[in-house]
Amino acid sequence: MQKALFSLNGVGVRGSLFYSGISLYPNSLTFITGQSGCGKSTLLQLLNGTLAYESGQIFYKDREIRGIPPLTLRAEVLLVPQKIWLFPSSIQENFAQFYRLLEKPCPKDSEIRHYLSELGLEKDPASLCQELSGGERHRVYLALCLSLKPQVLLLDESTSALDAENAKKLLHILRRLKKNCTVIMVCHDQSLFDYTDSRIHLGK
Amino acid sequence: MDIQAHFYMTVQFLSIYILLFCVMLILRAGKIYKSKEMFLASLMMTVQLILAGLVLTYIFQNPHPLFCLAYLIVMISLATRRILIKAPQLPRAFRFRVAFAFIGTALFVSTYFILIVARENLFNPQYLIPITGMLIGNAMTGFNIALKTLYEQLKSNADQINCLVMLGVHPKKILHPFINSSLETALIPTINSMVSMGIIILPGMLTGQILAGALPNTAILYQVGITIAICITVALSVYLGLHWGQHTLYGKNLQIRL
Repeated sequence: MQKALFSLNGVGVRGSLFYSGISLYPNSLTFITGQSGCGKSTLLQLLNGTLAYESGQIFYKDREIRGIPPLTLRAEVLLVPQKIWLFPSSIQENFAQFYRLLEKPCPKDSEIRHYLSELGLEKDPASLCQELSGGERHRVYLALCLSLKPQVLLLDESTSALDAENAKKLLHILRRLKKNCTVIMVCHDQSLFDYTDSRIHLGK
Repeated sequence: MDIQAHFYMTVQFLSIYILLFCVMLILRAGKIYKSKEMFLASLMMTVQLILAGLVLTYIFQNPHPLFCLAYLIVMISLATRRILIKAPQLPRAFRFRVAFAFIGTALFVSTYFILIVARENLFNPQYLIPITGMLIGNAMTGFNIALKTLYEQLKSNADQINCLVMLGVHPKKILHPFINSSLETALIPTINSMVSMGIIILPGMLTGQILAGALPNTAILYQVGITIAICITVALSVYLGLHWGQHTLYGKNLQIRL
């Protein structure tokens, strides 16, 4: 039987949300579903270490995440929030700025082009982000995240910024990615459920 | 000056209120409803200054370090309270550090000014009280601007902060541009007043000294010294307060608390 990448036991947060018996497996594409307010985005924040939990335990690769240095955890388990943010400059400059903040060497233009085209975005890295559409900006951000080579990619409703066709394209790409990177995604769109390996439904 | 002469002089100075009432009527006619606030503020200022005048006259006639310290404690407490109540949203630990930086810097610069620049006895009330008061007043304005700017920037850039935290950027690097721009904004009034001083405006202290009969050259020397001391106090206290306080905006788990 496959070993869980994440497991949550009796995790309580903000006094009202409770997660128990949840296991997430490596190299898979998992959807998190549930009504609004049931704690889907909160779950992703817990896994990314940007939200502290009051009770219970969360294990990542058999280690309690409280014991993992926060920046190490966030670099491995990368969270793409619903509202992404880019510097008001070119794609190239955005990569340079984010990499500078993360103290990592910035990829070359050819590599940036590669990550953009991976996400179906044939744009010149010199293109200005403020001139791109919402969906394109989201894909630039995703390309940036993929270039950071995370082991787990957490996506908070990333398909909501895309039209139906591009959402399906993104799911195709994510299925391809899962060989190297586990993908956990909050998604409401039932037409995309066929693309997943597993689905976790959170109740209130 | 005898009592009668003093009475006539007071009435003469209070005649400025006639102009204030005229302005209040003009504002009222223009449907700008700030007249009541203006009147209350000027009334408060007058009462406060009259009381201060009485207390200062007593202290100047009976100089004693304890009186000076008591006056300083009241000034500092009121100014610190005014800074802190204007920033209730910021964490308690942050506000504590701000208060510490504010008080420490103001006392350090006023001590330096009196002992090194003016070469006077530190507890000479004629120096200690007005100089520390000017430094505290300006630093208070600086902090009010800095904390308001910082809080508004953190709120309006929440998406940027979230993205960077989730990507694994250290909070110190995320907060750095907001801390710097808050400090820069806080320095604008001080720098503007220095640039325009002497040409566009004659500052209150200089005007006061000249009206009271001091030689313009002596008054100007003091004005230059105190203006630079104000600039130092605002810049240093806000810099220390924000840089020292920013660590309280995130815990050991490196989550930024807004």
